[in-house]
Amino acid sequence: MINIDLQKIHKNSYGDFSLDIKCKIDAPVTALFGPSGAGKSTLLSMIAGLVKPDSGCLYVDGECLFDSQRGIHVPIHKRHIGHVFQDSRLFPHFNVENNLKYGYQLIPAKSQRLAFSKIVELLELSHLLTQRPHQLSGGEKQRVALGRALLTSPRLLLLDEPLASLDMRLKQQILPFLLRVKNELNIPMIYVSHAIDEVLSLTSQVAIIEQGKILAFGPFNEVIHHQQVLVLAHTLGLENILQAEILGKEIEAGYIRASIGDQALYIPLSNQELHGFSDNISGNITVSIAASNIALSVNPVSGVTIQNQLASTVTNIEQLVHRTLVTLTLKNTSQQLIAEVTAKSVQDLQISIGSKIYCLIKTQSIHPLASA
Amino acid sequence: MAIENTFLLSPAEVEALWLSAKVAFYCAWIICIPGIAVGWLLAKKSFFGKSFVDSLVHLPLVLPPVVPGFILLLLLGSQGLIGSWLQQSFGISIAFTWIGAVVASAVMAFPLMVRSVRLAISQVDSGLEAAAQSLGAHPFKVFITITLPLALPGIITGLILAFSRSLGEFGATITFVGNIEGETRTLPLAIYTYTQIPGGDIAALRLVVLSMLIALGALMISDMLERKASQRIGRGYKGQKS
Repeated sequence: MINIDLQKIHKNSYGDFSLDIKCKIDAPVTALFGPSGAGKSTLLSMIAGLVKPDSGCLYVDGECLFDSQRGIHVPIHKRHIGHVFQDSRLFPHFNVENNLKYGYQLIPAKSQRLAFSKIVELLELSHLLTQRPHQLSGGEKQRVALGRALLTSPRLLLLDEPLASLDMRLKQQILPFLLRVKNELNIPMIYVSHAIDEVLSLTSQVAIIEQGKILAFGPFNEVIHHQQVLVLAHTLGLENILQAEILGKEIEAGYIRASIGDQALYIPLSNQELHGFSDNISGNITVSIAASNIALSVNPVSGVTIQNQLASTVTNIEQLVHRTLVTLTLKNTSQQLIAEVTAKSVQDLQISIGSKIYCLIKTQSIHPLASA
Repeated sequence: MAIENTFLLSPAEVEALWLSAKVAFYCAWIICIPGIAVGWLLAKKSFFGKSFVDSLVHLPLVLPPVVPGFILLLLLGSQGLIGSWLQQSFGISIAFTWIGAVVASAVMAFPLMVRSVRLAISQVDSGLEAAAQSLGAHPFKVFITITLPLALPGIITGLILAFSRSLGEFGATITFVGNIEGETRTLPLAIYTYTQIPGGDIAALRLVVLSMLIALGALMISDMLERKASQRIGRGYKGQKS
């Protein structure tokens, strides 16, 4: 449980603004999401102790790490908070093994909750141990940085855009490792990102930050429907999150059969399954669908390759500058989807609140996230 | 016979060479820790009077060497403020001894050491130091395990510069400790002495060549050490693969 109430006049290249963050974090993974310069990294730095807040207080698991009134500012090295940076920050004069052991050796043996061999195995680092950081790829560097932080047995792990410097292919390779850490190690994480797909692969619990303030806090599905969040999320690439029940897996055909309400949904098999990170596929699955990948139709369409056609009812229409966001409730469920369409098509199809509409979704634009 | 005389060093010349090496070695040795400390202070900390400290450290670089030499004489000479106290309390006399020569060249070489260390330490990525602290390392531990090893090439450069500066030190040395054969007559002083006596040209030339060889050797060793240290910290050397 992390209790945050911190203020700081923040100066950066985007100009001065005041940071004022109040929240309670109590989820296994909480994502701090927002545009560049919103204060996400500054907030992480204040939690880590790298930046001293002007006022307020900070409690982690009941221990006070900062309190301006009582004059408490626990130094970085006594906070027991792991920190993974965007630029990995491996020590260039040590090999991978000594990088990993740097913090591990500093804690007493009885506090070493995670065995060295376990982390090496979990993050698949054994073949890299004798290498120097400059010999590693970007993805390998981040895995080592993650392992190095985990080996200090932190009570909280801060991840500051750990995937931002990696390309899409490498991101897809690292995300399964982050999921493993989340699922197996039980260390609470705060994950900063401005890429929503990345965030949603790990957690649905988000804090949306803009201009140094928390705009919304809670499950992504709920906060996304706030007017301000919607506008902000749209500029960053709006994603829908849906829960579906798995009916079966068609390995040969490369998709999962699932249902939402009583409607069929075909979900492509993710990299995880294809690469053998096979979580048992049963029960529920969470998927993300970009709002811009959803087309709307008044009638069901035949003779097209689009397999997913979900009947729904329009519940809201939000006019943005160039685009229109149509919120739809899927038939026989309470789940909502947001489709991004042009104002013209809304007029042409005479879409209004209460209209019965089919959402057309290409299978390949559905991204499976962690199985819930 | 004449040829042999041209190339062979006289005992006095060997003594000057040996003394120079000894003085330069001790000079580099005694400014090592203070040089790193002051270099670190100037690179990392901001404090009241920092620019004054900075200027004071660099003063010997811009003053005529005879000035620091004279100031040392006033302070550490047998009649000087500190010198007389040392003499009375411990029976130690620094002026006109080889130890005085070490002190004189240390004062002259100190700014070179500090400049190198300061540059090297300020170039160490502070993000790495922050990362080390977040892994639970005390700031002093961070300095020893991260900052110092990564600044090592610059520290080595500083030490070699100080060594070389000491080998060439003339003005402050002759002012503070004089030109006593076997005690304070280092190579530059010996060269100067030979140029002042009739028929000393050949001997002076021999020592000039010797000085050049030593200086060249020192620079090459410095280059080699720096390259090794750079490779050790995983950094390419002068434009090589980084």
